[in-house]
Amino acid sequence: MSLLQMTGVDKRFGQVAALTGVDFTLEAGEVHALVGENGAGKSTLMKILAGVQPPDAGSMTLAGRPVRFHGVDEAQAHGVVMVYQELALVPSLSVAENLFLGRLPRVVGYRDLYARARGPLAQVELDLDPAGEVASLGIGERQLLEIARALAREGRILVLDEPTAALSASESERLFAIIEKVKASGVAMVYISHRLEEVFRIADRVTVLRDGRLVGTRVVADTTADEIVQLMVGKAVRRYQRAPRTKGEALGTFEAAGPGLEPLSITLEAGEIVGLAGVIGSGRERILPTLFGLAGTASWAGDPVRSPRDAIREGIVLVPSDRKQQGLVMELTVQENVSLATLSRLQRFGFMDARREREQTRTWIERLSLRPPEPRKPARELSGGNQQKVVVAKSLATEPTVLLLDEPTRGVDVGARTELYDVIDGLSRRGLGLLLSSSDTEELIGLSDRILVFRGGRVATELRPPFDYEEVVAHVTGARQLA
Amino acid sequence: MSLARVNWREVFARFGLLMALVALVVILSLLSDRFLTPSNVVNVLRQISINAIIACGMTVVIIGRGIDLSVGSLLALTGVVGAGLAVGGLPAGLAVLVAMALGTALGTFNGLFVAYAGIAPFIVTLAGLTIFRGAALAYTDGRPISGLPPLFMTLGYGTFLGLPVPIWIMLAFLLVTHVILRFTALGRAIYAIGGNEEAARLSGIPVRRVQVFTFAFSGLAAALAAMVLTGRLNSAQPSAGVMFELDAIAAVVVGGTSLFGGRGGVFGTLVGALIIGVINNGMNLLNVPSFYQQIVKGGVILAALLIERLVATRRT
Repeated sequence: MSLLQMTGVDKRFGQVAALTGVDFTLEAGEVHALVGENGAGKSTLMKILAGVQPPDAGSMTLAGRPVRFHGVDEAQAHGVVMVYQELALVPSLSVAENLFLGRLPRVVGYRDLYARARGPLAQVELDLDPAGEVASLGIGERQLLEIARALAREGRILVLDEPTAALSASESERLFAIIEKVKASGVAMVYISHRLEEVFRIADRVTVLRDGRLVGTRVVADTTADEIVQLMVGKAVRRYQRAPRTKGEALGTFEAAGPGLEPLSITLEAGEIVGLAGVIGSGRERILPTLFGLAGTASWAGDPVRSPRDAIREGIVLVPSDRKQQGLVMELTVQENVSLATLSRLQRFGFMDARREREQTRTWIERLSLRPPEPRKPARELSGGNQQKVVVAKSLATEPTVLLLDEPTRGVDVGARTELYDVIDGLSRRGLGLLLSSSDTEELIGLSDRILVFRGGRVATELRPPFDYEEVVAHVTGARQLA
Repeated sequence: MSLARVNWREVFARFGLLMALVALVVILSLLSDRFLTPSNVVNVLRQISINAIIACGMTVVIIGRGIDLSVGSLLALTGVVGAGLAVGGLPAGLAVLVAMALGTALGTFNGLFVAYAGIAPFIVTLAGLTIFRGAALAYTDGRPISGLPPLFMTLGYGTFLGLPVPIWIMLAFLLVTHVILRFTALGRAIYAIGGNEEAARLSGIPVRRVQVFTFAFSGLAAALAAMVLTGRLNSAQPSAGVMFELDAIAAVVVGGTSLFGGRGGVFGTLVGALIIGVINNGMNLLNVPSFYQQIVKGGVILAALLIERLVATRRT
């Protein structure tokens, strides 16, 4: 009898089926890796397991007894604990307080609390002062502390969501050693990862999800990285492929370096789209902010880029990944947002030139077929895809030579996605150089003229067309290095 | 929107404040026949002029997601310096200009700490509140300055086209502030920074410089108010303007400008100042004891924000 059995789990979000008929089992004392591309349903499945969300259909048994969790606390009471990748610790509290957070006695006796903390800390081999502040801990120690916290809650099933994403190589090693030890004590672990070398290193079994379906479970010792990649990719339905382009002149060269990013240089041609691939923690997610002058050091065509203002002056604009936090001013209208990066051009002696502003907005609304085509609508009232178009319009209004696209279709529905791809393709045909950073392999293949794969803070591989879907995934997940 | 189906929520969100003001006026004119007389209306406008001028600066700061607690003290300091220079022999017009320049400089000082040192506006201007007050007291040795040249008298008591000069100054400054906020690139940048500082920075807006401007403008507003107040009192008091920052903030927030930045305007602030002014005036006419007046004033501020809150939550 399995420790955990999930049967026929369905979950929909509106029109999108996130999970369809998933059967998942977990044995006591195993490390079970869960892999799949972004949007495959890994996180949704684990959220259902941990009581964060209820399933639409399906059942779950724990040690043979049917269970149904209405909330995280119920799941925890049954020993199912999630260890989040975005660390859920309170930095200003002590190690011991964090360990027992949410279960602190009404009157906290600190001597007792510190004494009780030693057990869980020893289990993960953390030699820490229980009274010390979490703020002073490194990220690796925090990750271990989270595992200790899960163990302190008498967790029998731990869900580790990309635990090594932010860790260095030596910190990861330490984590793997602890995982082995915890496993030996009979605790089962689900290990979500995008890095196959880790899967083959520490997992006993591996389950692959694709488009919300479970496509296979394999014993790690009996499978190969290539097989896993094949399962992840399946028969890829190519939804978008832009037409080939002609070679352009060189626009310039980026030089960049920064925390978590080794010095690199990228030369960009007019009309070229360079795809940037890599898992979280590979350095890929840091490159565009660095090139835009937000972190580290960067230069374009020999000129230093120290701030977004410098970048925009050089003709470089960023369409940021998080449009709510970084892209739009929700309170302002479409027109006001579109004008934001071009205020200096739309003014005359300090006064806004209302006519030019209206014309500029109308041009972009038409060119990007924004819906509804109303310049006076507050940005917050638009759909995700149209909000993204506003951010793109704002950036393009600066008439850039280089466009940096950071996850341009995150949270954008499928229809609007194709439209955005057409926009991106159209920009390259107008001679812009584009850097496209994305975790969506299909998107990278569909749009890129070449793909730079990041690993360990540097460009590990450069891929050129024709792209093979499987090969790209194999490079990104590190499966190619295992073969 | 067709005429048949009026969206009352929308109407209320947009004109609720004005409706509240009109309702207040109607109620008070029924309760007291001295309320809606031309002389009393002018009286109310003159009474609110100083607060409204300060509140103009405060509106700009708050739209940029800041707060300026130092305006009352800044008013005292610029008032005594302007008066001191004038009494000391500087031509009165020049003294007024120097005082306004000083106010702008002190506001800039606040702004530099906020924008470049990254200290919270609340803290920076709280420090300014005590520093400027202390400076005003030190400069005057704690004594008022009187014997001012006639220009100050004109600022406080003069009339132009039948209306008192303070009202003209208030209206002019409201207009200037409105134009800056609505028709300049700078104004747009202030809204953008208040609404989403990160997005503004990524759009290449010089966020820090704009932040400094908002505080400098608030300093200028307070100094201008100081000149009017000095004229009204016909002397400059180092203890003037205590708690004025709270009246200004009250006018701004009652006027519908969000303390979270990015939203609001100076027209609302004028209505906010009017509502507060009308309540004060009405209660005086009705002989409500001043202790109770404070309670009512606080209650009105709470009620205004509660209503705004309800309208805002319905909207999202």
